[in-house]
Amino acid sequence: MFKKSFTVLICLCILLPAFAKGSSDTSAATLDVYSIMPEKYATQVFGAFTKDTGVKVNFVRLSSGEALSRIIAEKNNPQVDCLWGGPSDTYDAGIKENVFEQYKPAESDKIPANYRSPDNYWTGIGIIPLCFLTNTDFLKKNNIKAPASWYDLIQPVYANGLQMADARTSGTATERIYSLVKALGETEAFEYQKKLNANVQLYTKSGAGGAMPVATGQAAAGIFYLVDALDIVNQGYPLVISYPKEGVTYGVEGSGILKGAKHLAAAKKLMDWASTKKLGEFMVANKICYIPTRPDVKVTDPALDMSKMKLIEAPSVWKGDNRKAFIDKWVNEVIQH
Amino acid sequence: MSVSLELNNVTKIFSKDSEKFCAVDNINLSVEKGELVTFLGPSGCGKTTTLRMIAGFENPTSGSILISGKDMTNVPVNERAIGFVFQNYALFPHMTIFNNVGYGLKARGEKDADIREKILKALSLVDLNGDENRYPNQLSGGEQQRVALARVIVMEPSLLLMDEPLSNLDAKLRIYMRTEIRRIQQALGITCLYVTHDQSEALTVSDRIVVMSRGKVEQIGTALEIYSNPLSTFVADFIGQANIIPAVVDTALSDNKGNIVCLLPGEKSVKARYYGKNSLKKGDNLFLVVRPENITVEKVGKDLLTGVVKNCIFVGSHVEYDLLFGEKYIVKASIDFKPDLKLYKKNEKVSFSFDENTTLFLDK
Amino acid sequence: MQSCILSKKQEHQFLYRKDPVLFCTLIIIWTCFAVFIFYPLIRLLYAAFFSDGHISIENIKKNFINVYTLKSLINSLLLATAVSICGTFLGYIFALAVNRTKLNPILKSGIGAITILPLISPPFTSSISLTLALGPNGTLLKLLGIPNANIYGFVGTWISETLTYFPVAFMVISAILNTMSASLDDAASSLGAKRGRIFRTITLPLSVPAIGNSILLLFGSSLADFATPLILGGHKFPVLPTQAYLQITGMFDLNGGSSLSFLLIIPALLVFFFQQVLIGDKNYVTVTGKSGAKSKFVPLPKTLQIICVCVASIIILFVLYLYFIILAGSFVKVWGIDNSLTLRNYAYVFANGKKAVSDTLKIAIVSTLLGSVLAVVIGYIIGRKNFPAKGFLDFSALLNYALPGTVVGIAYIAAFNNKPILLTGTMTILVAAYVFRYYATGIRSVIASLQQIDPALEEASLSLGANPVHTFTHITIPLIIPAVLTGMRYLFIHCMTAISATIFLVSARWTLLTTRILESMTELQFPQASAFSIVLIILVFAADALIGLGMKVYTKQFSGNVQKENKK
Repeated sequence: MFKKSFTVLICLCILLPAFAKGSSDTSAATLDVYSIMPEKYATQVFGAFTKDTGVKVNFVRLSSGEALSRIIAEKNNPQVDCLWGGPSDTYDAGIKENVFEQYKPAESDKIPANYRSPDNYWTGIGIIPLCFLTNTDFLKKNNIKAPASWYDLIQPVYANGLQMADARTSGTATERIYSLVKALGETEAFEYQKKLNANVQLYTKSGAGGAMPVATGQAAAGIFYLVDALDIVNQGYPLVISYPKEGVTYGVEGSGILKGAKHLAAAKKLMDWASTKKLGEFMVANKICYIPTRPDVKVTDPALDMSKMKLIEAPSVWKGDNRKAFIDKWVNEVIQH
Repeated sequence: MSVSLELNNVTKIFSKDSEKFCAVDNINLSVEKGELVTFLGPSGCGKTTTLRMIAGFENPTSGSILISGKDMTNVPVNERAIGFVFQNYALFPHMTIFNNVGYGLKARGEKDADIREKILKALSLVDLNGDENRYPNQLSGGEQQRVALARVIVMEPSLLLMDEPLSNLDAKLRIYMRTEIRRIQQALGITCLYVTHDQSEALTVSDRIVVMSRGKVEQIGTALEIYSNPLSTFVADFIGQANIIPAVVDTALSDNKGNIVCLLPGEKSVKARYYGKNSLKKGDNLFLVVRPENITVEKVGKDLLTGVVKNCIFVGSHVEYDLLFGEKYIVKASIDFKPDLKLYKKNEKVSFSFDENTTLFLDK
Repeated sequence: MQSCILSKKQEHQFLYRKDPVLFCTLIIIWTCFAVFIFYPLIRLLYAAFFSDGHISIENIKKNFINVYTLKSLINSLLLATAVSICGTFLGYIFALAVNRTKLNPILKSGIGAITILPLISPPFTSSISLTLALGPNGTLLKLLGIPNANIYGFVGTWISETLTYFPVAFMVISAILNTMSASLDDAASSLGAKRGRIFRTITLPLSVPAIGNSILLLFGSSLADFATPLILGGHKFPVLPTQAYLQITGMFDLNGGSSLSFLLIIPALLVFFFQQVLIGDKNYVTVTGKSGAKSKFVPLPKTLQIICVCVASIIILFVLYLYFIILAGSFVKVWGIDNSLTLRNYAYVFANGKKAVSDTLKIAIVSTLLGSVLAVVIGYIIGRKNFPAKGFLDFSALLNYALPGTVVGIAYIAAFNNKPILLTGTMTILVAAYVFRYYATGIRSVIASLQQIDPALEEASLSLGANPVHTFTHITIPLIIPAVLTGMRYLFIHCMTAISATIFLVSARWTLLTTRILESMTELQFPQASAFSIVLIILVFAADALIGLGMKVYTKQFSGNVQKENKK
């Protein structure tokens, strides 16, 4: 008799976790999200969303490459309802893999067409141009000005002084490649990157990862999205933002609902809320430095004035089409040396 | 209460890494109620394996074990109502003496009050009152052995099995404990199987002895039977001391007392008893077996066996001689010491003789 | 011997009838292994070699025979060799300093306690503080006046991993130095040998097995280390686990990532094989807290003593400095700019990090409990019972442990992201990943412990009428509790600080402290990352101390008994 009950006990112990699937709350009051938008912003933004709508958000922050690969791997059994933030080419790559649900948010007509997917697979929530971030102490020490051209960064003075993102995991890095290809042409762009690579100290997993080292002086300069650069400048570090005269492209932060989302109603609520002025106004008010996609949201920070930057247009579809090829080329030709 | 035990053709073969080792070879034994039977033999003879099979720790490869007439061959250990005393005592180190002794009763589900009474009774039986709350590692070897005994007795088993229980004690304690064990066993009337390699222990405590060698039973009998009438040179040599000299049959016909005549090395003829079953003819090889205490040593005489004294040792109660006989055989003689005894010196030539009633010819 | 013929029928008596409990247990265990050990590995191999259902030669060529992959493989092996040798060397010096010098006993236990630190903190905390100390513009470099050194690449990774893993070498070698018979030293002394000679001819040769074991342990650990090279390796020094990770998470190339992790399997299994041959069941590291102050050993010659103590002190100071950076970082407002002290980082942790803390604790506790039960059951049947395919069971049980975490993580997503068994996003997948990797120490401890317990004790219990289950719970388990506690300690520490496999398995519903720390770091929230790290370290330290205390109390009572009883 004891033998049997003991065996049953062991069985239970081992099978128990199979039942502990974690709270699968199917009520409309929760939402699961992969956020490419950094946690410190996402926490605040989702907080505002929850306050406005009562919907709670569970999210995990992943860099764009990670998020995309997760979503594709989980295609048949989506673990989250929405993808939040991250450059639009990530979304376009995802559309190819058929992971997104079409949905037209409530006020999306008020968002310019090139800031959203024509088939309503994704909607833009912020604009972020690429920029240079340089440590001013370093500039002073070497008696040079902030870099004003792509070619400034391949100068010997920056040897072992650059940190920037790894193209395999970060959207910031792919944006960098897009900018170079558009500004210099593909062949020259990759030749340039080989030279740039010689000055690179470290490629970071996430787009903003190199900004802190630049701020503390560990690195001299880096290439980042404006939002991350501004964030760390605002913390008070000795930094300066500049733009190359050849121009940069800009990223459109997207948002979209995944096919097969378990909390579809809540997901739609998020998309609707994001398309209103509320998102943009919240970000401006809290110094979350994305340029709002709603042109009717007033921007107070002069650093966010797009007219002051040389921006090159790069259609999102073009980006999505070339993403994998560019990354492969970067891995095989640029970083191998 | 106490039971009878029967081993029928019990065999145990161990196979390790595709090698087979026959530990116990076809044992047949019948034990009466209340008997203490000892398995005696050198290391590796299979006595412990046999005991463990009776306990149920090992299963026989073939054969059957019957306890009180019931086939218990494949019954699990915990259902056999046996008591087993281990060589290393196997006291539970994380329990007090009290809990050690009461372990089986508790497992059986008896009431606490009953258990307490029985424990104290068992402890007083082995003379260990007052130590209930100590731990095994605080007791001496002898005390631990007694606790092991108490633990088994308190269960009132029908069969008591003891595996070399005294081999880890010092000599004096061993002698004391073996009489204690015998006393308790007889007082309780439990059938007991005892394993030892110590022949004096076996001779002291047993009703009957099973002498084993290399998995086989050499002889079963009382101490007296085995001592006076060993059935093989192995038994003769294992129990007490024995002189074993090769002999050749001279006259195969036995006289009416069952004696035959054989020739010893040196062509001297000797008459002695023969209980073997083989039909003998002249020229067959046998062994002469005679114990040292049955040899008489005297002056060299005609028609007597002669030898040279190699060693003469005075041991107090007797004198021991090593006599060189037939150029290569050492015959040991043991003479009771009396004040007027003639002592022979080293290298002295002497004669020795023995009585045909205390001498045996054996086949093997 | 005509009775000694074997009856075939009797020889192969069904296990099912002889020992039904064992039979049921085996069924359950093999099922668990099939689902959580074999199935993922098969899916991994499938993903590595097959593409769209058939073996694709182009894939194999692309993934295996390309320069970057080969470079990664060579780098991994190179790094592992360097780390294992240096780490063992350092560990040996520390072990000598603690066990063979005339140092103050308090200092000795201090050294022992501090070397625990790298073991209980998340694997990348030291790489982060190392970057801040020795990286470009690093604080320590500035202090020492050394111009810019490039810490990224082989050098940085090597230093960081050596500092992270040398405590393992220290403990393994310490254990041997402690258990060596002091009477050997005495004998040598009485024969006129001077201290130096004693060290060279007795201490050193007798510690060779420990040295070998330590080298293998460190080699395996370095080979599997994913986090340190991620932060310090850079693109110039790729290693296999990090490349596999980038391949999968960045390029969603399960195929490529699987191939890379497959390459890791071979050296890992080789290391594991050598360990088994060399040490068998004795190579678990018991954290007994005994910092030896046994003065009956002959101390080293004076110069050697001074060298050892000096080296140990320098390293200790450096390690403390690294942790101080993290501690300091958790209390400042803005690192490097506004060094005013604040508690707001901890406020952040308690406000936003509650879910991570509670999720991590939940998973760690469930995994520890489950893993311990499994360790006891598996350890027991391997240590005490005989059944067909026992050796294979032993090997399978430890398979996930032998393989690097990255491999296991990738195998799990390859297996459980799709039907037939969908487990992504659940607690189950995380618990399974932890349990089947980290119960290994528990299993080995239980087996070793059982070897020291006389089987006669269990037989005695049976003979007194207790059935096998009662025997197991009343006799066996109490006697192996120290081993079980050791296993639990190891399990808990690793569940709290794991990252390599975890990073593939984390989801929106289950957040873990280690992934939060990594993400914070990559998002420049250094003060918050530090605060999270400190919280994690404190939690692990507290739990470890608790279990250690439990062990001390328990063993004090009757470990002496067990040892004495069975030395007869």
